[in-house]
Amino acid sequence: MRGPNTKAFQQGFLKNMIFSLQACSEFCISSSASGGAAMMSLQQRKCAIKSSANIAMATARGGRARWPQAVLASSSSPSRRPSKPSSSPGKKKKNTHVCKKIVRRCLHTRRRWRAGTGASSLARTTSTTTAMIGSREIARRLVRKRTKVLRKMIPGGELLDEISLLHEAVDYVAHLHAQVDVLRRISNAVQRG
Amino acid sequence: MSSRRSRSRQSGSSRITRITEEQISDLVSKLQDLLPEAHLQSNARVPSARVLQETCNYIRSLHQEVDDLSERLSELLATSDMSSAQAAVIRSLLM
Repeated sequence: MRGPNTKAFQQGFLKNMIFSLQACSEFCISSSASGGAAMMSLQQRKCAIKSSANIAMATARGGRARWPQAVLASSSSPSRRPSKPSSSPGKKKKNTHVCKKIVRRCLHTRRRWRAGTGASSLARTTSTTTAMIGSREIARRLVRKRTKVLRKMIPGGELLDEISLLHEAVDYVAHLHAQVDVLRRISNAVQRG
Repeated sequence: MSSRRSRSRQSGSSRITRITEEQISDLVSKLQDLLPEAHLQSNARVPSARVLQETCNYIRSLHQEVDDLSERLSELLATSDMSSAQAAVIRSLLM
């Protein structure tokens, strides 16, 4: 399994970023050649870079984690709509076209995902039925509340039980850290060169 | 027979809950190690609710940082052309 700090992960990530940058540039060239709208606005470009970074991170991760599937699912689902580069109202459809290309390219070099098994829910221990609310109960409620928030932050977290959620959280945080690191290196390199 | 079964089932389930609580505390301590140490002292045993809260905040700040970095990158790429950007990315690959 690739850890987020291995060279293999970072190289895979960078390779996917190159793919996505290429797809962006090709799309810009094609759209400007067809006489359509001008170069992508800053906002569009930023969204494209962010989504390509997420896709790159997810595909470079591989393995059995659940969040990559959720990230890829959420980014490729808008691409199912047909994209017409010239007549469409523009911003969203352009992004979906680019997204579709990026996802296809990234996934072409990777193995198929293992089909994830359905999430099994832990047998929840029933809360105490006593009238007194002890400190333990308060702590448990707090933990439950925070777990709910954590579920929203991690892609695909709503389906998981507590232990898998914590596993995913550890994994996701480590990979996000690596993603920030790689993005910083790329922007430093572009600024220098 | 049934009483024996039910007793074994009860002790089995308590064994299971004990194991999962250990697992949970183990994972929580792993999470705590990942978080930036400015907020928490890694030696002290911090309540899990606090660790979860710090994790959420950290994930939020990482998302924000990715956002800022991609904005910066998009500004940079607006000025320079794609080929030089790709060369720069490849250079950072070799580093």
